[in-house]
Amino acid sequence: MSKLIFIFLFLAFIPLLCTSFTPERPSDRRVLVLLDDFAVKSSHSLFFNSLKSRGFDLHFHLADDPKIALQRYGQYLYDALILFSPTVERFGGSVDAAAILDFVDSGHDLIVAADTNASDLIREIATECGVDFDEDPAAMVVDHSGYAASATEGDHTLIASDDFIKSDVILGSKKIEAPILFQGIGHSLNPTNRLVLKALSASPSAFSANPKSKLTSPPSLTGSSISLVSVIQARNNARILVSGSLSMFSNRFFRSGVQKAGSPTKHEKSGNEQFFTELSKWVFHERGHLKALQLQHHKVGESSEPSIYRINDDLEFSVEIFEWSGTSWEPYVADDVQVQFYMMSPYVLKTLSTNGKGRYFTSFKVPDVYGVFQFKVEYEKLGYTSLSLSKQIPVRPFRHNEYERFIPAAYPYYGAAFSMMAGFFVFTAVHLYNK
Amino acid sequence: MARYLGGLLALLFAASICGAVTIPGPVSDAHRSAASELFGDSFSSLEDAYEALRVFEILGVGNKPDVSATTCKQVVENLGSSSPVKDLFYALKVNGILKCKVNADVFKDIAVRLKATVNDASTLVDMYYSIGSLVLIKDQASDVDVLLADADGTFHSIKALSQSDGRWRYSSDNPESSTFAAGLALEALAGVISLASSEIDLSRVNTVKNDILKLFDSIEKYDDGTFYFDEKFVGGREHQGSLYTTSSVVRGLTTFASAISGKINLPGDKILGLAKFFLGIGIPVTLCTSDFFLWCRISIPLVLSLPETVYSLSKKDQLKVRVNTVLGSAAPPLTVKLVRAFRPDAKDSAVFENKELQYDKSNGIHVLEVFPGNVDVGTYVFVFEIVLHDSAGEKVFATGGQIHVPIYVTGIIEVSNAEIAGLDSDLGSVETQKKLDLAGNVVVELSANHLQKLHFSFQLTTPHGHAFKPHQAFFKLKHETNHEHIFVIGNTGKKFEIVLDFLGLVEKFYYLSGRYDIELTVGDAVMENSFLRPLGHVDLELPEAPEKASRLPPLPVDPYSRYGPKAEIAHIFRAPEKRPPQNLSLTFLSLTLLPFIGFLVGLLRLGVNFKNFPSSAAPATYAILFHLGIAAVLFLYVLFWLKLDLFTTLKTVGLLGAFLMFVGHRILSHLASTSSKLKSA
Repeated sequence: MSKLIFIFLFLAFIPLLCTSFTPERPSDRRVLVLLDDFAVKSSHSLFFNSLKSRGFDLHFHLADDPKIALQRYGQYLYDALILFSPTVERFGGSVDAAAILDFVDSGHDLIVAADTNASDLIREIATECGVDFDEDPAAMVVDHSGYAASATEGDHTLIASDDFIKSDVILGSKKIEAPILFQGIGHSLNPTNRLVLKALSASPSAFSANPKSKLTSPPSLTGSSISLVSVIQARNNARILVSGSLSMFSNRFFRSGVQKAGSPTKHEKSGNEQFFTELSKWVFHERGHLKALQLQHHKVGESSEPSIYRINDDLEFSVEIFEWSGTSWEPYVADDVQVQFYMMSPYVLKTLSTNGKGRYFTSFKVPDVYGVFQFKVEYEKLGYTSLSLSKQIPVRPFRHNEYERFIPAAYPYYGAAFSMMAGFFVFTAVHLYNK
Repeated sequence: MARYLGGLLALLFAASICGAVTIPGPVSDAHRSAASELFGDSFSSLEDAYEALRVFEILGVGNKPDVSATTCKQVVENLGSSSPVKDLFYALKVNGILKCKVNADVFKDIAVRLKATVNDASTLVDMYYSIGSLVLIKDQASDVDVLLADADGTFHSIKALSQSDGRWRYSSDNPESSTFAAGLALEALAGVISLASSEIDLSRVNTVKNDILKLFDSIEKYDDGTFYFDEKFVGGREHQGSLYTTSSVVRGLTTFASAISGKINLPGDKILGLAKFFLGIGIPVTLCTSDFFLWCRISIPLVLSLPETVYSLSKKDQLKVRVNTVLGSAAPPLTVKLVRAFRPDAKDSAVFENKELQYDKSNGIHVLEVFPGNVDVGTYVFVFEIVLHDSAGEKVFATGGQIHVPIYVTGIIEVSNAEIAGLDSDLGSVETQKKLDLAGNVVVELSANHLQKLHFSFQLTTPHGHAFKPHQAFFKLKHETNHEHIFVIGNTGKKFEIVLDFLGLVEKFYYLSGRYDIELTVGDAVMENSFLRPLGHVDLELPEAPEKASRLPPLPVDPYSRYGPKAEIAHIFRAPEKRPPQNLSLTFLSLTLLPFIGFLVGLLRLGVNFKNFPSSAAPATYAILFHLGIAAVLFLYVLFWLKLDLFTTLKTVGLLGAFLMFVGHRILSHLASTSSKLKSA
């Protein structure tokens, strides 16, 4: 009986195992969405539908549902987490801030949307990611110059922002024409965190304060240091998106027209849909995920990889790099991939040439220093997963018989020695037989 | 099951996309395209199909023939087979919209089956589906007999599940009561009444009416007068949220009210509050028409809405108010009165009072042609009241009393008398003073040290000549290294001024001397010409930082400079040793050969001879072998230089050495014995 149950369980889990995240298919598949209210499922359905249509398997739960769990028997049940629950004080089940950070630490992706009156829990998660929300719970981002013209919203908290991060890999190659509508709280980036980036920043005239009360002291966040949407790529390539507004993702903002104050052009549709579709592609590893294969090196004129190089050898190095397009691995084309020949510090650092089909190659001379070297490819580019490859190779000095044998400058010495020897030969004969 | 109100929920979607927030306008193409996008072309289940088709129907999206063909096929399959009640229910609902070709006999079969189910059913959900299906059959095939024989008994068995607080249980063995179930039960009861072959006992109907009143006692309320139903207990079931629950109750209520004769006396404010709930979420009123159709029999809420709440004085906007019934139809003749308007911070002093708005028949809106002269820029709360012309209408329509609407009146603020000056700290004497035209692009260049002060002032006046206090008046100093310092500019009366005493600020400036760019930001929600303007720069000379001074805070890293290729590194190889030219070496080679030649010449001159060479055969052989051996060793050295390595050479030398020892010993002993013989002789 127990055998039967086991087989049944095994069969039941096969599809799960097949669709989950693997290094070969880095896009996320199973996404847990935690909501404050199921109404968000409908009011933000365009965003969710765009994810579903790209093949994601969304699991909706209330954030305080006691049955939610991120992992079971040490296996994570999901590849990514969307927190659309800005006001939740405590998650249900065994999930807490530490569990979510562990989830990220094990390479999974996260989308966090905060809003005014964001709970301490959401703020804590954001802080751990290097994003500090304005501490004033009533504060919102106000921009009296860059607001979205609207007949019904007069307090200038509905902002039209078009200050995007300049990165094709994060926001897609198609330029976002229309400004992005934003209404929510601002955050600043922790200056000591080098991994967090402003994907959408506020204009220089913006500030974060309670729009209803008078300002007596300077607001803590002002100008373009306010980030509206930030992205983080952790060292383990887990990607995080933090937004100060939940309504940014809503159908209403996706579909409403936008006209930035002072600008004559009225856009039929705000840029939100394009912005978040592209950004979610990035966050869920449908873009900007690299892999490197076939790190190869050999002496010029040979094809097999030697176990050791001699100093001053000429060698050829090549590596193949591919980018995940969401469905397949495409050759990655760039002109800034570099290789280092490294022992304590790089002795040679060279930019690789590419053939446009994913293969990168170069050739150089082994330095005249012997020791244990490494070929290192450490590739970091804005928005791309970082590549860090290394291959160890020893370098030896010349063998005793590999030095130059006939040095003209030494001929006088040789001549002296050999004439001496000839003299010795003559002398022995003369000495023995002379009478 | 719970998603049976999905149509309504989908409306929520459709509604939430219309731009105007206060009150959604009529259905537009935006709604239609959004709905098409939302539902797509294929439906996973009949329930989904019903939701989609219902929304298409309400929105007036044209029926797609391919959709109806495939869905109809599904409907007929479901009706023909012995599928569960729920599927039958939705199949019938879809059929109601698509009018698929279904055989009348099929309906008869189903009706018989459903009637049996009604009698056997123990749970509320089963009853709801089976009765609902029967009602649908009644509408779709009039010749089928769907009347319930024992309507009273069915009515009773549903009523038996009700609780004392007006809520219902899902089944008799489940003690949990639910507000959502109450909505289902009311709809089922309405169905029973319409299917009853004989009149239902009026006393039973009255107890249900009482239940409804009790149910309304548990209604929840928001601060702004919005009422809604929420599920108190969420055990085991998927939490449906207040929208599902409220719509279930309202739907049950309206069907029940339409089924019975007579009126249900419900409090008017709660009805209005419920209407507000749907409107607040943004369900367009026109869409709700059919769902709320019979609700009118209870009371029709009138809804006052403003298409705009931001008015510009510079553009001379008119205040427009629209009044509709909650169903979206035109309101009866009425007058909209602007009772009073006040500023939110001075609630007691009204800016103006008692204005009547003119009715513009062509657009169906009430207009206040011009704002009273004393309305300046700022935020206001306008209090409106609806006065019905026909006093009898007050019983039919709920007006909701006084309605408070926040209004923004914007205008262009005049900026004048801007001055920037450097002051000497001790005497307060003005060193440099410059007038600034903030509208132009003039920038100033100042310099100051830590003993001086910077003084900046300007004035803001409203179009009516009053002083204006903006929400945002920032004075920003930005150092070359991107360290920013922001000061809020305070005001005294009309004049805004800020005095920066650098002596007190050196600490805050981290003792950073150098060029500081000055920026002024003035902005407010009601200021149409909010601006951010660079004023120029000031060169500050601050004292050297003492050792204990606080360190500069870190600045965020520029992401664009952080990445990117590094500079290439090429290894510098050790330079080869310097060598003399080859000719020189060859010259010296020939010089080294000279002594050997000299030696040979010397020997010849000395007249060497080989007379001592042994004459007998054996020693001569040894002598030849010995010298050949020496020659071989020497030749080996030459070979060693030319090609051999040390190991081969040593091996060969060893062999040759042994040979040489042997022959050498022979010849040398021979020579020694010859010479000793010679001596002794």
